[in-house]
Amino acid sequence: MSDEEESPGRVAIGISFGNSYSSIAFTTSEGKAEVIANEEGDRQIPTILSYVEGEEFQGTQAKAQLVRNSKNTVAYFRDFLGEDFKSVDPTPCHQSAHPKEHEGTVAFSIRDSEAESENTVTVSEITTRHLRRLKNSASDFLGKQVNAVVITVPTNFSDKQRAALKKAAEDAGLEVLQLIHEPVADVLAYDARPDAKHADKNVVVVDVGGTRSDVAVIASRGGMYTILATAHDYDVSGAQLDQVLIDYFAKEFLKKNKGVEDPRENPRSLAKLKLESEAVKKALSLGQSASFSVESLSGGIDFTATINRSRYELLASKHFQSLKRLVVHCVEKAELDVLDINEIICAGGNSHTPKLSRSLADEFPPTTTVFAPTLSPTAINPNELAARGAAIQASLVEAFDTDDIEQSTHPVVTSTPHLAHAIGVLSISGDEKGAGVFTLMIEPETPVPVRRTAHVAVPREGGDVLVKLCEGVREIKVTKPEAKPKTNGANEDEDDDDDDDDDDDDEEEIREKVWKAGRVLAEMAVRGTKKGSKVEVQVSVGAELDVQIIAREVNGKGGTRGMLDKPAIAQNGSV
Amino acid sequence: MAAITINLPLPVLPEGWSAEKDFKAISSLSPATQRNVEPVGPHFLAHARRKRHKRTFSEDER
Ligand SMILES: Nc1ncnc2c1ncn2[C@@H]1O[C@H](COP(=O)(O)OP(=O)(O)OP(=O)(O)O)[C@@H](O)[C@H]1O
Ligand SMILES: [Mg+2]
Repeated sequence: MSDEEESPGRVAIGISFGNSYSSIAFTTSEGKAEVIANEEGDRQIPTILSYVEGEEFQGTQAKAQLVRNSKNTVAYFRDFLGEDFKSVDPTPCHQSAHPKEHEGTVAFSIRDSEAESENTVTVSEITTRHLRRLKNSASDFLGKQVNAVVITVPTNFSDKQRAALKKAAEDAGLEVLQLIHEPVADVLAYDARPDAKHADKNVVVVDVGGTRSDVAVIASRGGMYTILATAHDYDVSGAQLDQVLIDYFAKEFLKKNKGVEDPRENPRSLAKLKLESEAVKKALSLGQSASFSVESLSGGIDFTATINRSRYELLASKHFQSLKRLVVHCVEKAELDVLDINEIICAGGNSHTPKLSRSLADEFPPTTTVFAPTLSPTAINPNELAARGAAIQASLVEAFDTDDIEQSTHPVVTSTPHLAHAIGVLSISGDEKGAGVFTLMIEPETPVPVRRTAHVAVPREGGDVLVKLCEGVREIKVTKPEAKPKTNGANEDEDDDDDDDDDDDDEEEIREKVWKAGRVLAEMAVRGTKKGSKVEVQVSVGAELDVQIIAREVNGKGGTRGMLDKPAIAQNGSV
Repeated sequence: MAAITINLPLPVLPEGWSAEKDFKAISSLSPATQRNVEPVGPHFLAHARRKRHKRTFSEDER
């Protein structure tokens, strides 16, 4: 502890720490998050460390070592943190240092010093070294010593994993202000844009990384975020997309070079094939075709070839299909319909792939905005989302005491009742029938307390009006297309149209989202409204679900107010 | 959040409708679902502040 002098204060950054790549970001004095390039100019820094004669390399330089020095190169280790050896999947490490069991945790045997012998280095220690390099890169860039951090983690990171990451970061000289969920950081990065509107919305974050895909359905209500469902898949990811290209180029090579060893059978050839295939994949995100070129791919033979984007999309289509299924499954798990989804945020490096985001968009109605580089001019680089979100959060909490942050992130504060149903008022529909229709004021899954205000039109002549507050139930209205007589051959009976429900898809049914009034909560009168005026309805739901309602003519005096009691409490449990 | 605008009009008060102070409480809300709000973003920080200090929205605005 320093004695009398002022504490030097925190210099905080955001880190996105993936199995494949890491990024560092900071928030400028104007409050804008920016991703920092390291000494090599990389903003996506491969999460890889490699040792050559005791010298440590990180990032792109370490990745290049996968060809010649794979045994002393450690890659794809993030998910091993805080895990037992028995529960980790070592598959991603086939072409680099292999994980092994060490005193209940995971470690690597590598020659990381000048000595000939190997050392056992735990995954915690590797993480500390990696984070230290990231910290130093950020410090160099900012011109001051970074000492605090917000790091993003997957939504299925266990408490043990979080604790291990925290410890590893602290060992690197970084105070961990907070660990935040990756998809939430992604949403925050979008919401922090100066022109962002804080409408209530349901957002799906689709993160397609190098070794895994993660989906989260998030209720965003007045700038607060609640995860409704998540899904994870380790069989749909960048590695599988790379594999499509690895197989394609290996086969092309063998066609041209009969009798030569398959480059996939030789570790060094495979490593070259893999690096170049990933580069080709990235090039295909921008261009309609890309060229592949490796010196001495196998049997001493150089190989160059080209591939066009549509060929790649065709070869990879089954992976795009699996990803679509994963996303739809997650929406269903959240007990929502695709029609309930307002936004999709495509995150993770593979979201640059045009076909990937386009095929996702096809699964959702046109009312769903898809944020991906090829679909939206305002999309943020999917590689940078998590780091930016972390940097924004770091700037929000860096001035707080550690205790304060801890208390605020404690379940006592985060565990919150969420509305089971929508709340709204009955209006009169525009059609001739003039029937009552439910008009939404507060979305379901909104955390309480919450307050929302609506300005509702009055009937043409004004006068005394009824404000009827109800809960709303969302229904999906399905309209079957008119059964068309078959065009070919004899006109078949039309009365068999009941049994061809799951027929072909040339006539798609029309699905719409409609709100129906459910439980009536209250009725109130607002008297003597003026022609053309509006009635302001304010609904405040308290922390215990008590409700206060105020209705008055906009700019008018008085008005009507009333209260609803909180629901009866279940018998068990104290109040 | 800013007020939302609803253009479909409210119904005319039915003939003979009356209630004390023009307000009729009919039912409480349905029970809620307990979930975790993510401790992230400026709006959560405001929520945490209110919750820890047991303050209401209007008190918080002062
Ligand atoms: N421009 C691009 N086009 C296509 N794919 C890309 C592009 N840029 C990066 N990728 C791919 O994105 C993946 C890396 O994504 P990201 O940086 O999100 O990784 P990560 O979170 O570390 O991954 P994980 O933890 O799943 O291994 C790699 O498969 C990489 O090849
Ligand atoms: Mg990731």
